[in-house]
Amino acid sequence: MDGGRIKCSYMDEKELIRRSQAGDGEAFGVLVDRYKGKVFSLAYGFTRDRAVADDLAQEVFIKAYCSLPKFKAESGFGTWLYRIAVNHARDFLRKDRRHQKEISMDAVGEAILSVESQSLEEKQDEEERRKTVQAALARLPEKYRVILTLRDIEGLSYEEISRILKLSPGTVDSRLHRARRKLREKLMGRLGRPGGENGL
Amino acid sequence: MDCKKAERFLLLSLDGRLDPGKLAALKSHLEQCSSCRKKGAEYRMILDLVRPQSVPEPLPRFKERLIARLKEKEQAGPALFWVRWAHWAVALSLAAVILFGAGIILFRPEEPRELSRTERFLLQDENPLGDAASILSQKKAEDRNLMLIFASFEDTDISRRYRP
Repeated sequence: MDGGRIKCSYMDEKELIRRSQAGDGEAFGVLVDRYKGKVFSLAYGFTRDRAVADDLAQEVFIKAYCSLPKFKAESGFGTWLYRIAVNHARDFLRKDRRHQKEISMDAVGEAILSVESQSLEEKQDEEERRKTVQAALARLPEKYRVILTLRDIEGLSYEEISRILKLSPGTVDSRLHRARRKLREKLMGRLGRPGGENGL
Repeated sequence: MDCKKAERFLLLSLDGRLDPGKLAALKSHLEQCSSCRKKGAEYRMILDLVRPQSVPEPLPRFKERLIARLKEKEQAGPALFWVRWAHWAVALSLAAVILFGAGIILFRPEEPRELSRTERFLLQDENPLGDAASILSQKKAEDRNLMLIFASFEDTDISRRYRP
């Protein structure tokens, strides 16, 4: 400890939120450090552009900071923050259709570098299929794109998605399944790989 | 189990949300249905391709940049407050001017209206002929012409004076 003052980084989340609401910038900074990865990852899942995702993530935290007085801890802070992030991403998707096109070449490059065990032809083949899937995802209706991003890209549970989107678990279930079916319908015959074993 | 139900079970199985009984029923169906096996493989491939292989980090100094933006926003706060209220003040003032103007136009008291010649003749019993009556009552033409010539001397435009 430093003169009886506990370092913000060791405080629990409730205390950090309480201090942030009281105007403690250092406490809010700790919350930013804890959640920036998740918020950025969500933004990147929608945009596939590092700079745009960074800007979106910053705007999410600015909105969260301005709305801190309204946070009542009925849901967890992470859920609340995710909700702001999803709503902000939705607004972005509505306004900026040019970011709904195929993923950037930078993202393709990063993807290629990380897959080392495949032959060049296999890698190129996979990247083509990945681009095709991303393009189809970008053309889905917004509600399907959001739920696929939260579940299949971010890996959130059904319960977390239900809290973030304020939907019943049954609605999450049916919407996710419709979204996956729609995505598959858009990709019918375009991925060029034969079906195989069930693998279950 | 029909293929529609099998597809639903397939999707649940991708999230590990299928209980053992239903999972066994699905496996049994897939052993006999090549179309559903193909569908299952397609779903797994699509989900695999949807996930980015790597998520990059945010741009450097994320927190520092955020704090700078928040400080800028706080400093602009008071000015923005006045700008926002200035818009309201201008709007309200314009509305007040328009209402005041409309009120004046709609509720202005009417000025007394001057009677027309016809209304004077009828309501005030004036003689429409006036001075012309004495000229027209002359029996002789030369007397009438003389009186018309004298009457037209008042006209400053010579071209309009009476010429018999």
